[in-house]
Amino acid sequence: MDSHLNELALKELLYRIADDLLILGHRNSEWTGIGPLLEEDIAFSSMAQDKIGQSLALYELLHQLGEREPDVVAFMRNADQFHNCQFVELPIGGYEFSLIRHFLYDHSLFLRFQALSNSSYEPLAALSRKLVGELRYHVLHASTFIKQLGTATEESISRLQSSLNEAIPYSLGIFEPSPYEKELIDDGIFSGEQELFHQWWSVVNEILGKTALEISQVDQELAKTGGRLGQHTEHLQPLLDEMSEVIKLDPSAEW
Amino acid sequence: MKSLDPRITRWQVDESNRESLEKEHLDQLVTYEVFLQMKEGKAYEHVGIVHASDLDMAFLFAKEQYSRRYTCTGMWVVATEMVTVTEFTDLEENVYDSISTMAAEGNELQSYEVFHLTKRGKQHKHVGQVKAASPEHAQSEAKKHFDDGRPVLNVWVAPSNEFLFSKEEDKVIWSTLHEKTHRDVISYKAADKIKAFKERSQHG
Repeated sequence: MDSHLNELALKELLYRIADDLLILGHRNSEWTGIGPLLEEDIAFSSMAQDKIGQSLALYELLHQLGEREPDVVAFMRNADQFHNCQFVELPIGGYEFSLIRHFLYDHSLFLRFQALSNSSYEPLAALSRKLVGELRYHVLHASTFIKQLGTATEESISRLQSSLNEAIPYSLGIFEPSPYEKELIDDGIFSGEQELFHQWWSVVNEILGKTALEISQVDQELAKTGGRLGQHTEHLQPLLDEMSEVIKLDPSAEW
Repeated sequence: MKSLDPRITRWQVDESNRESLEKEHLDQLVTYEVFLQMKEGKAYEHVGIVHASDLDMAFLFAKEQYSRRYTCTGMWVVATEMVTVTEFTDLEENVYDSISTMAAEGNELQSYEVFHLTKRGKQHKHVGQVKAASPEHAQSEAKKHFDDGRPVLNVWVAPSNEFLFSKEEDKVIWSTLHEKTHRDVISYKAADKIKAFKERSQHG
Protein backbone atom coordinates (compact mmCIF):
# COMPACT_ATOMS: atom_id res chain seq x y z
CA MET A 1 0.00 0.00 0.00
CA ASP A 2 1.25 3.46 -0.88
CA SER A 3 0.13 5.27 2.23
CA HIS A 4 -1.32 4.92 5.67
CA LEU A 5 -4.52 6.64 4.59
CA ASN A 6 -5.20 4.16 1.80
CA GLU A 7 -4.84 1.30 4.20
CA LEU A 8 -7.44 2.81 6.49
CA ALA A 9 -9.76 3.33 3.53
CA LEU A 10 -9.24 -0.23 2.35
CA LYS A 11 -9.81 -1.71 5.80
CA GLU A 12 -13.02 0.27 6.24
CA LEU A 13 -14.26 -1.07 2.92
CA LEU A 14 -13.34 -4.67 3.78
CA TYR A 15 -14.94 -4.42 7.22
CA ARG A 16 -18.23 -3.14 5.88
CA ILE A 17 -18.57 -6.01 3.39
CA ALA A 18 -17.28 -8.69 5.78
CA ASP A 19 -19.53 -7.55 8.62
CA ASP A 20 -22.58 -7.36 6.33
CA LEU A 21 -21.93 -10.93 5.21
CA LEU A 22 -21.32 -12.33 8.68
CA ILE A 23 -24.47 -10.76 10.12
CA LEU A 24 -26.71 -11.53 7.15
CA GLY A 25 -25.30 -15.06 6.96
CA HIS A 26 -26.13 -15.55 10.61
CA ARG A 27 -29.60 -14.07 10.23
CA ASN A 28 -30.43 -16.21 7.20
CA SER A 29 -29.15 -19.31 8.99
CA GLU A 30 -31.91 -18.76 11.54
CA TRP A 31 -34.22 -20.34 8.94
CA THR A 32 -32.31 -23.63 8.98
CA GLY A 33 -34.72 -26.40 9.90
CA ILE A 34 -37.79 -24.17 9.82
CA GLY A 35 -37.80 -23.04 6.18
CA PRO A 36 -41.04 -23.09 4.17
CA LEU A 37 -40.24 -26.33 2.34
CA LEU A 38 -37.41 -28.82 2.55
CA GLU A 39 -35.74 -27.92 -0.75
CA GLU A 40 -35.81 -24.22 0.06
CA ASP A 41 -34.59 -24.83 3.60
CA ILE A 42 -31.50 -26.50 2.12
CA ALA A 43 -30.95 -23.84 -0.54
CA PHE A 44 -31.35 -20.89 1.84
CA SER A 45 -29.13 -22.54 4.47
CA SER A 46 -26.44 -23.24 1.88
CA MET A 47 -26.43 -19.62 0.80
CA ALA A 48 -26.27 -18.47 4.43
CA GLN A 49 -23.23 -20.70 4.84
CA ASP A 50 -21.73 -19.23 1.65
CA LYS A 51 -22.12 -15.75 3.11
CA ILE A 52 -20.30 -16.68 6.29
CA GLY A 53 -17.59 -18.28 4.14
CA GLN A 54 -17.31 -15.06 2.13
CA SER A 55 -17.01 -13.02 5.34
CA LEU A 56 -14.21 -15.33 6.47
CA ALA A 57 -12.31 -14.74 3.22
CA LEU A 58 -12.59 -10.98 3.77
CA TYR A 59 -11.56 -11.21 7.44
CA GLU A 60 -8.52 -13.14 6.23
CA LEU A 61 -7.62 -10.26 3.90
CA LEU A 62 -7.97 -7.94 6.91
CA HIS A 63 -5.77 -10.24 8.95
CA GLN A 64 -3.10 -10.00 6.24
CA LEU A 65 -3.33 -6.23 6.66
CA GLY A 66 -2.59 -6.54 10.38
CA GLU A 67 -6.06 -6.96 11.91
CA ARG A 68 -6.70 -9.72 14.44
CA GLU A 69 -7.56 -13.33 13.57
CA PRO A 70 -10.92 -13.89 11.84
CA ASP A 71 -12.48 -15.68 14.84
CA VAL A 72 -11.48 -12.90 17.22
CA VAL A 73 -12.80 -10.24 14.87
CA ALA A 74 -16.04 -12.12 14.23
CA PHE A 75 -16.90 -13.22 17.76
CA MET A 76 -15.23 -10.85 20.21
CA ARG A 77 -16.36 -7.41 19.12
CA ASN A 78 -19.32 -5.49 20.48
CA ALA A 79 -22.10 -4.09 18.33
CA ASP A 80 -20.63 -0.59 18.15
CA GLN A 81 -17.46 -2.02 16.56
CA PHE A 82 -19.37 -3.52 13.65
CA HIS A 83 -19.48 -1.78 10.25
CA ASN A 84 -22.47 -3.60 8.79
CA CYS A 85 -25.49 -1.67 7.55
CA GLN A 86 -28.54 -1.81 9.82
CA PHE A 87 -30.51 -3.62 7.10
CA VAL A 88 -28.71 -6.95 7.62
CA GLU A 89 -29.16 -7.01 11.40
CA LEU A 90 -32.97 -6.68 11.35
CA PRO A 91 -34.75 -9.82 12.58
CA ILE A 92 -35.73 -12.40 9.94
CA GLY A 93 -39.42 -11.47 10.17
CA GLY A 94 -41.72 -13.59 8.01
CA TYR A 95 -40.24 -15.46 5.06
CA GLU A 96 -41.42 -12.69 2.75
CA PHE A 97 -39.23 -10.17 4.60
CA SER A 98 -36.20 -12.47 4.51
CA LEU A 99 -36.72 -13.01 0.76
CA ILE A 100 -37.05 -9.30 0.05
CA ARG A 101 -33.88 -8.59 2.03
CA HIS A 102 -32.09 -11.44 0.23
CA PHE A 103 -33.20 -9.94 -3.10
CA LEU A 104 -32.27 -6.32 -2.32
CA TYR A 105 -29.03 -7.05 -0.50
CA ASP A 106 -27.66 -9.80 -2.75
CA HIS A 107 -28.08 -7.75 -5.90
CA SER A 108 -26.00 -4.99 -4.29
CA LEU A 109 -23.37 -7.54 -3.30
CA PHE A 110 -23.23 -9.13 -6.74
CA LEU A 111 -22.69 -5.70 -8.33
CA ARG A 112 -20.19 -4.74 -5.62
CA PHE A 113 -18.05 -7.83 -6.26
CA GLN A 114 -18.29 -7.27 -10.00
CA ALA A 115 -16.96 -3.73 -9.49
CA LEU A 116 -14.28 -4.96 -7.08
CA SER A 117 -13.12 -7.54 -9.63
CA ASN A 118 -11.26 -4.59 -11.18
CA SER A 119 -9.94 -3.23 -7.89
CA SER A 120 -6.37 -1.90 -7.82
CA TYR A 121 -5.93 -3.91 -4.62
CA GLU A 122 -5.19 -7.22 -6.31
CA PRO A 123 -5.97 -9.61 -3.40
CA LEU A 124 -9.47 -8.12 -3.22
CA ALA A 125 -9.87 -8.18 -7.01
CA ALA A 126 -8.89 -11.86 -7.12
CA LEU A 127 -11.28 -12.77 -4.30
CA SER A 128 -14.10 -10.82 -5.95
CA ARG A 129 -13.62 -12.54 -9.29
CA LYS A 130 -13.88 -15.84 -7.48
CA LEU A 131 -17.02 -14.97 -5.47
CA VAL A 132 -18.96 -13.54 -8.40
CA GLY A 133 -19.74 -17.10 -9.57
CA GLU A 134 -21.10 -18.13 -6.18
CA LEU A 135 -23.22 -14.98 -6.06
CA ARG A 136 -24.61 -15.61 -9.52
CA TYR A 137 -26.63 -18.42 -7.98
CA HIS A 138 -27.67 -16.27 -5.00
CA VAL A 139 -29.15 -13.56 -7.22
CA LEU A 140 -30.72 -16.13 -9.53
CA HIS A 141 -32.40 -17.65 -6.49
CA ALA A 142 -33.55 -14.25 -5.20
CA SER A 143 -34.82 -12.97 -8.54
CA THR A 144 -36.65 -16.20 -9.39
CA PHE A 145 -38.47 -16.17 -6.05
CA ILE A 146 -39.40 -12.51 -6.32
CA LYS A 147 -40.63 -12.91 -9.90
CA GLN A 148 -42.72 -15.94 -8.96
CA LEU A 149 -44.22 -14.73 -5.70
CA GLY A 150 -44.45 -11.16 -6.97
CA THR A 151 -46.87 -12.32 -9.65
CA ALA A 152 -48.58 -15.22 -7.86
CA THR A 153 -51.53 -14.49 -5.58
CA GLU A 154 -53.06 -11.47 -3.94
CA GLU A 155 -51.67 -12.63 -0.61
CA SER A 156 -48.11 -13.26 -1.86
CA ILE A 157 -48.05 -9.89 -3.64
CA SER A 158 -49.40 -7.88 -0.72
CA ARG A 159 -47.10 -9.57 1.79
CA LEU A 160 -44.03 -8.96 -0.39
CA GLN A 161 -45.09 -5.38 -1.08
CA SER A 162 -45.42 -4.57 2.59
CA SER A 163 -42.00 -6.13 3.31
CA LEU A 164 -40.57 -4.15 0.42
CA ASN A 165 -41.97 -0.90 1.83
CA GLU A 166 -40.45 -1.71 5.19
CA ALA A 167 -37.10 -2.76 3.69
CA ILE A 168 -36.42 0.09 1.27
CA PRO A 169 -35.24 2.77 3.76
CA TYR A 170 -32.89 0.23 5.33
CA SER A 171 -31.65 -1.00 1.94
CA LEU A 172 -30.56 2.55 1.12
CA GLY A 173 -28.28 2.28 4.15
CA ILE A 174 -26.22 -0.34 2.27
CA PHE A 175 -24.77 2.56 0.27
CA GLU A 176 -23.91 4.86 3.17
CA PRO A 177 -20.70 6.54 1.95
CA SER A 178 -17.39 5.68 3.51
CA PRO A 179 -15.46 8.49 5.21
CA TYR A 180 -12.76 7.57 2.65
CA GLU A 181 -14.97 7.54 -0.44
CA LYS A 182 -12.72 9.90 -2.41
CA GLU A 183 -9.51 8.04 -1.58
CA LEU A 184 -11.07 4.70 -2.58
CA ILE A 185 -12.18 6.08 -5.93
CA ASP A 186 -9.00 8.05 -6.64
CA ASP A 187 -6.81 5.04 -5.94
CA GLY A 188 -8.96 2.72 -8.02
CA ILE A 189 -9.73 0.48 -5.04
CA PHE A 190 -13.50 0.78 -5.50
CA SER A 191 -15.76 2.74 -7.83
CA GLY A 192 -17.75 4.10 -4.89
CA GLU A 193 -21.09 3.71 -3.11
CA GLN A 194 -22.94 6.21 -5.26
CA GLU A 195 -22.15 4.48 -8.52
CA LEU A 196 -23.04 1.15 -6.93
CA PHE A 197 -26.36 2.56 -5.76
CA HIS A 198 -27.29 3.71 -9.28
CA GLN A 199 -26.45 0.33 -10.82
CA TRP A 200 -28.40 -1.46 -8.09
CA TRP A 201 -31.40 0.81 -8.41
CA SER A 202 -31.71 0.10 -12.12
CA VAL A 203 -31.27 -3.70 -11.75
CA VAL A 204 -33.73 -3.97 -8.87
CA ASN A 205 -36.36 -1.86 -10.63
CA GLU A 206 -35.97 -3.79 -13.85
CA ILE A 207 -36.74 -7.06 -12.06
CA LEU A 208 -39.56 -5.61 -10.00
CA GLY A 209 -40.97 -4.26 -13.28
CA LYS A 210 -41.75 -7.86 -14.22
CA THR A 211 -43.85 -8.29 -11.07
CA ALA A 212 -46.83 -6.61 -9.45
CA LEU A 213 -44.46 -5.10 -6.88
CA GLU A 214 -43.23 -1.55 -6.98
CA ILE A 215 -40.98 0.83 -5.13
CA SER A 216 -42.75 4.06 -4.41
CA GLN A 217 -40.59 7.14 -4.96
CA VAL A 218 -37.90 7.04 -2.30
CA ASP A 219 -36.64 9.87 -0.22
CA GLN A 220 -32.91 9.54 0.37
CA GLU A 221 -33.46 11.50 3.59
CA LEU A 222 -35.26 8.48 4.99
CA ALA A 223 -32.26 6.16 4.45
CA LYS A 224 -31.43 4.23 7.61
CA THR A 225 -27.74 5.03 7.90
CA GLY A 226 -25.22 4.98 10.73
CA GLY A 227 -24.50 1.25 10.63
CA ARG A 228 -21.20 1.83 8.81
CA LEU A 229 -20.13 4.06 11.73
CA GLY A 230 -21.08 1.57 14.41
CA GLN A 231 -24.55 2.94 15.14
CA HIS A 232 -26.89 -0.01 15.25
CA THR A 233 -30.45 -0.99 16.07
CA GLU A 234 -31.29 -2.81 19.29
CA HIS A 235 -31.26 -6.07 17.29
CA LEU A 236 -27.51 -6.40 16.69
CA GLN A 237 -26.14 -6.98 20.20
CA PRO A 238 -28.52 -9.89 21.00
CA LEU A 239 -27.54 -11.47 17.66
CA LEU A 240 -23.84 -11.15 18.56
CA ASP A 241 -24.45 -12.60 22.01
CA GLU A 242 -26.24 -15.58 20.53
CA MET A 243 -23.65 -16.08 17.78
CA SER A 244 -20.72 -16.05 20.20
CA GLU A 245 -22.43 -18.01 22.99
CA VAL A 246 -20.54 -21.24 22.27
CA ILE A 247 -17.09 -19.84 21.51
CA LYS A 248 -17.21 -17.77 24.68
CA LEU A 249 -17.61 -20.93 26.78
CA ASP A 250 -14.07 -21.81 25.78
CA PRO A 251 -12.36 -19.34 23.45
CA SER A 252 -9.27 -21.55 23.18
CA ALA A 253 -11.17 -24.66 22.00
CA GLU A 254 -10.03 -26.11 18.69
CA TRP A 255 -12.76 -26.85 16.11
CA MET B 1 -44.34 -21.65 22.85
CA LYS B 2 -41.15 -21.69 24.93
CA SER B 3 -38.32 -23.66 23.34
CA LEU B 4 -34.66 -24.34 24.07
CA ASP B 5 -34.10 -23.05 20.55
CA PRO B 6 -34.22 -19.26 20.82
CA ARG B 7 -35.41 -18.99 17.21
CA ILE B 8 -38.57 -20.91 18.04
CA THR B 9 -39.24 -18.85 21.15
CA ARG B 10 -38.91 -15.70 19.05
CA TRP B 11 -41.65 -16.94 16.75
CA GLN B 12 -44.13 -16.52 19.60
CA VAL B 13 -46.25 -19.37 18.28
CA ASP B 14 -49.60 -19.45 19.98
CA GLU B 15 -50.14 -23.07 20.94
CA SER B 16 -53.87 -22.66 21.36
CA ASN B 17 -53.93 -21.87 17.65
CA ARG B 18 -52.37 -25.15 16.61
CA GLU B 19 -55.50 -26.74 15.14
CA SER B 20 -56.00 -24.01 12.60
CA LEU B 21 -52.60 -24.88 11.11
CA GLU B 22 -53.67 -28.39 10.18
CA LYS B 23 -54.28 -28.93 6.50
CA GLU B 24 -57.19 -30.77 5.01
CA HIS B 25 -55.41 -31.85 1.85
CA LEU B 26 -51.87 -32.68 0.97
CA ASP B 27 -50.42 -29.68 -0.78
CA GLN B 28 -47.23 -31.30 -1.98
CA LEU B 29 -45.69 -29.77 -5.10
CA VAL B 30 -45.01 -31.96 -8.13
CA THR B 31 -41.65 -33.62 -8.71
CA TYR B 32 -38.84 -32.91 -11.15
CA GLU B 33 -36.03 -35.25 -12.14
CA VAL B 34 -32.48 -33.96 -11.76
CA PHE B 35 -29.44 -34.96 -13.84
CA LEU B 36 -25.84 -33.92 -13.23
CA GLN B 37 -22.69 -33.99 -15.30
CA MET B 38 -19.86 -34.74 -12.89
CA LYS B 39 -17.02 -33.90 -15.28
CA GLU B 40 -16.65 -32.22 -18.64
CA GLY B 41 -17.36 -34.77 -21.38
CA LYS B 42 -19.03 -37.30 -19.05
CA ALA B 43 -22.62 -38.44 -19.55
CA TYR B 44 -25.34 -36.72 -17.51
CA GLU B 45 -26.56 -38.98 -14.73
CA HIS B 46 -29.83 -39.05 -12.84
CA VAL B 47 -29.31 -38.04 -9.20
CA GLY B 48 -32.82 -37.76 -7.77
CA ILE B 49 -35.91 -35.61 -7.57
CA VAL B 50 -36.94 -32.26 -6.14
CA HIS B 51 -40.39 -30.89 -5.39
CA ALA B 52 -41.03 -27.55 -7.07
CA SER B 53 -43.69 -25.31 -8.55
CA ASP B 54 -42.06 -25.07 -11.99
CA LEU B 55 -38.86 -25.73 -13.93
CA ASP B 56 -37.08 -22.55 -12.78
CA MET B 57 -37.73 -23.32 -9.13
CA ALA B 58 -36.73 -26.96 -9.70
CA PHE B 59 -33.39 -25.77 -11.07
CA LEU B 60 -32.81 -23.55 -8.02
CA PHE B 61 -33.61 -26.31 -5.57
CA ALA B 62 -31.74 -29.03 -7.47
CA LYS B 63 -28.55 -26.98 -7.46
CA GLU B 64 -28.31 -26.96 -3.67
CA GLN B 65 -29.96 -30.33 -3.16
CA TYR B 66 -27.64 -32.30 -5.43
CA SER B 67 -24.55 -30.21 -6.11
CA ARG B 68 -23.74 -28.64 -2.77
CA ARG B 69 -20.90 -31.01 -1.91
CA TYR B 70 -19.37 -32.52 -5.04
CA THR B 71 -18.34 -30.40 -7.92
CA CYS B 72 -20.11 -30.78 -11.25
CA THR B 73 -20.09 -29.10 -14.64
CA GLY B 74 -23.76 -29.05 -15.62
CA MET B 75 -27.31 -29.76 -14.52
CA TRP B 76 -30.57 -30.66 -16.27
CA VAL B 77 -34.07 -30.77 -14.80
CA VAL B 78 -37.32 -32.07 -16.28
CA ALA B 79 -40.80 -32.66 -14.85
CA THR B 80 -41.28 -36.28 -13.80
CA GLU B 81 -44.54 -36.49 -15.75
CA MET B 82 -42.63 -35.75 -18.98
CA VAL B 83 -40.52 -38.88 -18.62
CA THR B 84 -41.81 -42.04 -20.31
CA VAL B 85 -40.48 -45.15 -18.65
CA THR B 86 -40.21 -48.64 -20.17
CA GLU B 87 -40.73 -51.81 -18.17
CA PHE B 88 -37.95 -52.92 -15.85
CA THR B 89 -36.26 -56.17 -16.78
CA ASP B 90 -34.62 -58.57 -14.41
CA LEU B 91 -30.95 -59.31 -14.31
CA GLU B 92 -29.44 -59.95 -17.72
CA GLU B 93 -32.51 -59.41 -19.89
CA ASN B 94 -32.37 -56.55 -22.36
CA VAL B 95 -35.47 -54.34 -22.24
CA TYR B 96 -34.94 -53.43 -25.90
CA ASP B 97 -35.78 -57.04 -26.82
CA SER B 98 -39.38 -56.34 -25.81
CA ILE B 99 -39.62 -53.01 -27.66
CA SER B 100 -40.94 -53.37 -31.18
CA THR B 101 -39.73 -51.08 -33.93
CA MET B 102 -42.36 -48.73 -35.27
CA ALA B 103 -42.59 -46.05 -37.91
CA ALA B 104 -43.27 -42.37 -37.25
CA GLU B 105 -46.99 -41.61 -37.33
CA GLY B 106 -48.11 -38.35 -38.85
CA ASN B 107 -46.91 -36.08 -36.05
CA GLU B 108 -43.98 -33.80 -36.57
CA LEU B 109 -40.72 -35.18 -35.25
CA GLN B 110 -39.22 -33.67 -32.14
CA SER B 111 -36.09 -34.32 -30.19
CA TYR B 112 -36.07 -36.69 -27.17
CA GLU B 113 -33.34 -37.29 -24.60
CA VAL B 114 -32.65 -40.98 -23.92
CA PHE B 115 -31.39 -42.48 -20.65
CA HIS B 116 -30.31 -46.06 -19.86
CA LEU B 117 -30.22 -48.01 -16.63
CA THR B 118 -27.66 -50.77 -17.05
CA LYS B 119 -27.35 -52.02 -13.49
CA ARG B 120 -29.88 -52.28 -10.67
CA GLY B 121 -29.06 -49.84 -7.88
CA LYS B 122 -27.21 -47.53 -10.27
CA GLN B 123 -28.55 -44.37 -11.87
CA HIS B 124 -29.96 -43.75 -15.32
CA LYS B 125 -27.33 -42.33 -17.66
CA HIS B 126 -27.84 -40.15 -20.70
CA VAL B 127 -26.94 -41.96 -23.93
CA GLY B 128 -28.05 -39.43 -26.55
CA GLN B 129 -30.93 -37.91 -28.50
CA VAL B 130 -33.38 -39.27 -31.04
CA LYS B 131 -35.94 -37.57 -33.28
CA ALA B 132 -39.38 -39.06 -32.81
CA ALA B 133 -43.10 -38.45 -33.23
CA SER B 134 -44.16 -39.78 -29.81
CA PRO B 135 -42.59 -41.24 -26.65
CA GLU B 136 -43.26 -44.77 -27.94
CA HIS B 137 -41.65 -43.91 -31.24
CA ALA B 138 -38.72 -42.42 -29.29
CA GLN B 139 -38.27 -45.77 -27.52
CA SER B 140 -38.27 -47.50 -30.86
CA GLU B 141 -35.74 -45.01 -32.28
CA ALA B 142 -33.61 -45.48 -29.17
CA LYS B 143 -33.59 -49.21 -29.83
CA LYS B 144 -32.37 -48.50 -33.36
CA HIS B 145 -29.57 -46.19 -32.24
CA PHE B 146 -28.51 -47.28 -28.77
CA ASP B 147 -29.17 -51.02 -28.46
CA ASP B 148 -25.79 -52.72 -28.81
CA GLY B 149 -27.01 -56.05 -27.48
CA ARG B 150 -25.69 -55.52 -23.96
CA PRO B 151 -28.52 -55.66 -21.41
CA VAL B 152 -30.30 -52.40 -20.64
CA LEU B 153 -32.69 -52.83 -17.71
CA ASN B 154 -34.80 -49.72 -18.20
CA VAL B 155 -35.06 -46.81 -20.64
CA TRP B 156 -36.31 -43.26 -20.07
CA VAL B 157 -37.25 -40.88 -22.86
CA ALA B 158 -38.35 -37.27 -22.43
CA PRO B 159 -38.87 -34.44 -24.93
CA SER B 160 -35.76 -32.22 -25.11
CA ASN B 161 -37.81 -29.03 -25.11
CA GLU B 162 -39.25 -29.88 -21.69
CA PHE B 163 -35.81 -29.75 -20.03
CA LEU B 164 -34.10 -26.84 -18.38
CA PHE B 165 -30.43 -27.25 -19.27
CA SER B 166 -27.75 -25.28 -17.44
CA LYS B 167 -25.99 -22.88 -19.78
CA GLU B 168 -22.29 -22.45 -20.41
CA GLU B 169 -22.28 -19.22 -18.38
CA ASP B 170 -23.98 -20.97 -15.43
CA LYS B 171 -20.88 -23.11 -14.80
CA VAL B 172 -19.36 -20.48 -12.51
CA ILE B 173 -22.03 -21.22 -9.88
CA TRP B 174 -20.07 -24.37 -9.07
CA SER B 175 -16.61 -22.84 -9.29
CA THR B 176 -15.94 -22.49 -5.55
CA LEU B 177 -17.42 -25.86 -4.60
CA HIS B 178 -14.10 -27.69 -4.30
CA GLU B 179 -13.11 -25.27 -1.51
CA LYS B 180 -16.19 -25.91 0.61
CA THR B 181 -14.64 -28.62 2.72
CA HIS B 182 -16.72 -27.38 5.66
CA ARG B 183 -19.61 -29.26 4.04
CA ASP B 184 -17.76 -32.58 4.32
CA VAL B 185 -17.91 -34.42 7.61
CA ILE B 186 -14.47 -35.84 6.95
CA SER B 187 -12.80 -32.43 7.00
CA TYR B 188 -13.66 -32.02 10.69
CA LYS B 189 -11.48 -35.04 11.54
CA ALA B 190 -13.93 -35.85 14.32
CA ALA B 191 -12.69 -39.43 14.75
CA ASP B 192 -9.09 -38.24 15.25
CA LYS B 193 -10.21 -35.68 17.79
CA ILE B 194 -12.29 -38.18 19.75
CA LYS B 195 -9.35 -40.60 19.76
CA ALA B 196 -6.98 -37.90 20.99
CA PHE B 197 -9.48 -36.92 23.67
CA LYS B 198 -9.84 -40.52 24.86
CA GLU B 199 -6.08 -40.93 25.01
CA ARG B 200 -5.75 -37.73 26.98
CA SER B 201 -8.40 -38.74 29.48
CA GLN B 202 -6.88 -42.23 29.92
CA HIS B 203 -3.46 -40.81 30.66
CA GLY B 204 -4.69 -37.81 32.56
